[in-house]
Amino acid sequence: MRTWRDIARYHLVIPWLPLGLPWAILSVSFIVNLVIFAFVPQSYHEVMTGHGLVQVADAAPNYTGGVVSIYILVLVIGINSIGRSLPFGLALGVTRRSFYTGTALLGVALAAVDGLLLTGLQAIERATDGWGVNMHFFQVPYILDGPWYVTWLTSFVGLALLFVWGMWCGIVYRRWNLFGSMTFVAAQVTMVVAAVLILVWADAWSGVGHFFTGLTAAGLTGVLAALAVLLLAGGQATIRRATV
Amino acid sequence: MTQTAISVTGLTRRYHGHRALDQVSFEVEAGSIVGLLGRNGAGKTTLLRILAGQEFPSAGSVLIHGAPPTENEAVLRRMVFVREDQVYPDFKVRHALRIASWFYPNWSPELADALLADFELPPGRAIKKLSRGMRSALGIVIGMAARAEVTLFDEPYAGLDAVARQIFYDRLLAEYAEHPRTILLSTHLIDEAAGLLERVIVIDHGRVVLTADADDLRGVASAVSGPVLAVDEFTAGRVLWDRRRVASQASVVVVGALDEADRARARSLRLELSPLTLQQLVVHAAAQQANTADTLERTSA
Repeated sequence: MRTWRDIARYHLVIPWLPLGLPWAILSVSFIVNLVIFAFVPQSYHEVMTGHGLVQVADAAPNYTGGVVSIYILVLVIGINSIGRSLPFGLALGVTRRSFYTGTALLGVALAAVDGLLLTGLQAIERATDGWGVNMHFFQVPYILDGPWYVTWLTSFVGLALLFVWGMWCGIVYRRWNLFGSMTFVAAQVTMVVAAVLILVWADAWSGVGHFFTGLTAAGLTGVLAALAVLLLAGGQATIRRATV
Repeated sequence: MTQTAISVTGLTRRYHGHRALDQVSFEVEAGSIVGLLGRNGAGKTTLLRILAGQEFPSAGSVLIHGAPPTENEAVLRRMVFVREDQVYPDFKVRHALRIASWFYPNWSPELADALLADFELPPGRAIKKLSRGMRSALGIVIGMAARAEVTLFDEPYAGLDAVARQIFYDRLLAEYAEHPRTILLSTHLIDEAAGLLERVIVIDHGRVVLTADADDLRGVASAVSGPVLAVDEFTAGRVLWDRRRVASQASVVVVGALDEADRARARSLRLELSPLTLQQLVVHAAAQQANTADTLERTSA
């Protein structure tokens, strides 16, 4: 327990990096989008009424997808959390096991907090009619669109998943360098392609379609959580024989 | 009663068919300063990395205070090993020290501060901007201030100037006197460190070629030089290591302690006698490989 806490403090010794950097990048993305939508004129369509042609403002919100930037940054921080920090950790007599557990716990805790902040911002977005410009930055259709607790849960699991994936990538790089990392990524791509081919071959696309359309955001979160656990176990197995 | 701090048996580490360590066995008593000597690439760093659980052995075993160190929290938390080529995250000197202080119950902030001042190491400097010598100094500060029971130093003063090295020797001895611990340090600046070491382990090409008390090694071999005939007469029947001849002058290394009668005889033969320094001894030991240990045992017995 003490060691886990100290490992977390180790990662937070320069706090703004893991805590602030994802938000700094997200803010830039947010401001750029806000400025763009403030200048882009509202689009209208014309409707024939008893008073002749009337222009009606389009109701479709301005989606941005900018919230993705925080997920990418969390992935990068996950990659960095092991690669550059492990050697000094081992120099100080920490075991790989403790280092991994402490780092993963920090990542999960950060994901929970960051997810909560994203949920809060989404609530503000809803209350202000999309920041006054009908912008849906923190709302993403289908995925981040439900009640606040589902939004929180989905954000939390999504961020944790990317952190854990980043950790595993970092460990693979630590053990097998660039060549190993490329093989690792290639293997993941191969698995996805193989899955697609099998589905095509089995003519099972409609089944998959039904699975995902039948899946609620909460159900999707469950799938992501299972994937995160899988990645966590993969990282654990990989770090066991890592050398520095 | 003396306790064994480090016990290594048949330790072998292979990398792609090449043996970085080959059947290495030795023991280190708790509460001693031991020098791990050898040339570059002899296997010193690999050995220390395995002791610290950073690398895995291909065969053989390592016990630290009776337990294997690999992934063993109870053992590793009593050790510190800051390498010459230590990789740090992107942060400053003071961050590294702050983090190290969390992991060692006996950490001494006063000692860390004093050493920082001694080595003129700026705490606000980014580690990646430190010179080689300053990086070494940072390793020394962490290794000493940790006051860990088993302290491993790998080329602790690479890149340090003579003044800073002297500071290291003085501080290490003072620390050791006040807070005894087991210190294993690798170096190739042998003569400088000789006064510090109680025992030496010499490795070459991954093999232990000599382990001995440093005191036993002083005067165990001597260089003899003078006219060829006189040298031959003096060294007849003795174990010789090295023999050079230039015109009518010869220079040889004789193994075995010399007594007063020997010295008087050498003087009368107009021979020059000088005891081999630890460094010269190690050079010869490496050259002689495995024979050395036997030879020394026979001659000192």
